[in-house]
Amino acid sequence: MQLLNLLNANIRKNYIEMKRYLPNTIALLLTFYIIFLAMFAGIQIIGDPNTQDMNIQYVIVNYIFWYLAMIVVNDIGWQISNEASQGTFEQLSMSPMGVWRIMTARLIASTFVNILIIIGLLLLSMATTGQWLNLDVITLFPILILTLISMFGLGLIIAGLTVVFKQIQAFLQILQFILAALVFVPLSVAPFLAFFPIVKGVDLVRSVMIDEITLNQIGTGDFMILIVNAVVYFIVGLGFFNFCERVAMNKGLLAHY
Amino acid sequence: MDAVIEVNNIKKRYKKRKTKDIIHAVNNISFTVKRGEILGLLGPNGAGKTTTIKMICGLLTPDEGSIIINGMNITDHRLKALHHISAVLEGNRNLYWRLTVKENLEYFAGNRGVSRKKAASLINDLLEKFKLKDKENELVNRLSRGMQQKLAIAISMLAESDVILLDEPTLGLDVETGYEVREILKSIVQDYNRTIIISSHDMDVIQDICERTVIINQGTIVTDDKIENLLKLFEIRSYTITLGNAISTKQKELLTQKFSHHIYTSDSYVTTLEIDLARSEHIYDLFNILKLEATPVESIDRKTIDFEQVFMKIIKGERSNAIAQPS
Repeated sequence: MQLLNLLNANIRKNYIEMKRYLPNTIALLLTFYIIFLAMFAGIQIIGDPNTQDMNIQYVIVNYIFWYLAMIVVNDIGWQISNEASQGTFEQLSMSPMGVWRIMTARLIASTFVNILIIIGLLLLSMATTGQWLNLDVITLFPILILTLISMFGLGLIIAGLTVVFKQIQAFLQILQFILAALVFVPLSVAPFLAFFPIVKGVDLVRSVMIDEITLNQIGTGDFMILIVNAVVYFIVGLGFFNFCERVAMNKGLLAHY
Repeated sequence: MDAVIEVNNIKKRYKKRKTKDIIHAVNNISFTVKRGEILGLLGPNGAGKTTTIKMICGLLTPDEGSIIINGMNITDHRLKALHHISAVLEGNRNLYWRLTVKENLEYFAGNRGVSRKKAASLINDLLEKFKLKDKENELVNRLSRGMQQKLAIAISMLAESDVILLDEPTLGLDVETGYEVREILKSIVQDYNRTIIISSHDMDVIQDICERTVIINQGTIVTDDKIENLLKLFEIRSYTITLGNAISTKQKELLTQKFSHHIYTSDSYVTTLEIDLARSEHIYDLFNILKLEATPVESIDRKTIDFEQVFMKIIKGERSNAIAQPS
């Protein structure tokens, strides 16, 4: 029950801030959409007309997933960095719930609130391009959940690094491109990337949305990779975050910027 | 009264980034705080008080020693111990400025696992008590500093913890709001039976609301005693003596030899000698010096001393061993 209350509080805060700063939220979405339009135009102007439709479909899925990855993984780093400089992070650190639970609740809350926006962006992208992708919710749901868990693990690693180093803004900028690489690279080019976070999930999502494969057509092996990735990355992320918290507590970095 | 906090021989060392020198921020500090007590934790800048407070809050791990909160070692059982403690360490910086007063209270309650429904009546009580009810829907960045400070204290009350730690609770407040905060702190102890530890440079606040004070300097405790006792100890040894005429050069030399802390002033109207005696019986030495030239004594007044002067004297090392004993 306490965990639900914690999650509820963080969802509410996320929603309130998003609503209160609506112009900022709209500007962010507009930027996202304009970049998408630029990519769409680029494919139409200089792309191969024979593969144009396929390329557009890939761009829609990849670009939406990149946005999701940035919201989940990158945003937590920015949040901690900002809160440490504002002075609220030490208050969070004094909660008997534990900072890792608060951070996990934040990751889930942020995903939950942003998922509605992501659905909106996806529909807008499809309407703009006229490329209507397969939205098989039953098949997409387990893939998305497992991929998100590995993303949360990655988010906790970023959160841990931010707790110790604080001024990692430059790294967070670079991380956007690392995330883009993980999302955009086709698994067929480098199969070993299946064990990296996000990659396998995006690959399966592409298969569902573009190639229209169903849950039954996805092999057990593919799901096993997703499950192993989710469990391993989340546990590693959690362990790493707790380790970083201990380092920060020993060195007196928890409340200092 | 039982001890709610036991600080036992804690030490904290830091390594300087550039020179790699080891700094002993806190060096073997021990004290206890009883339930319902208001303790003042004092010291000059860099004395080690914030480090001590952060170790008690569980934000910093001591290198050695232990901190027991309500029978629980905060290093070994941090999350359980944190149920019994809350703090306002950075005043208004501990708040979310983009949320309203009520939203802040609700969010911090939620972060401790308390539901909005359960917290609702407590939040309402706190808004009333802290006179923030009419501002409950106001964004924090639109509040005055005093109101932000009151909100930060109200948030620390949300936890319903036994102990509240406050670092500089009246810093930057106007006289009226500072007074209001003092009254709130007193009522927190009286009405809610909470224990408060305050770190402050405002000696008026400390003298007004604290019963006992622990004074830290260079990472060690220099005094642990009741404020009342400290005031008495210094008061009985500080005198202003009005003399009938000026004293001779020989008397001045003897005064300098015998009494390191004295101020002699003489003009055409009045001659006074302000003197601090290390021991009460030293007053006879003073009389002997005055007797040498038969200097008439018109009056002897005990100097009134406030806690700020006591604090300065302790920090400068003007203390006898008697006052350094922990109570």
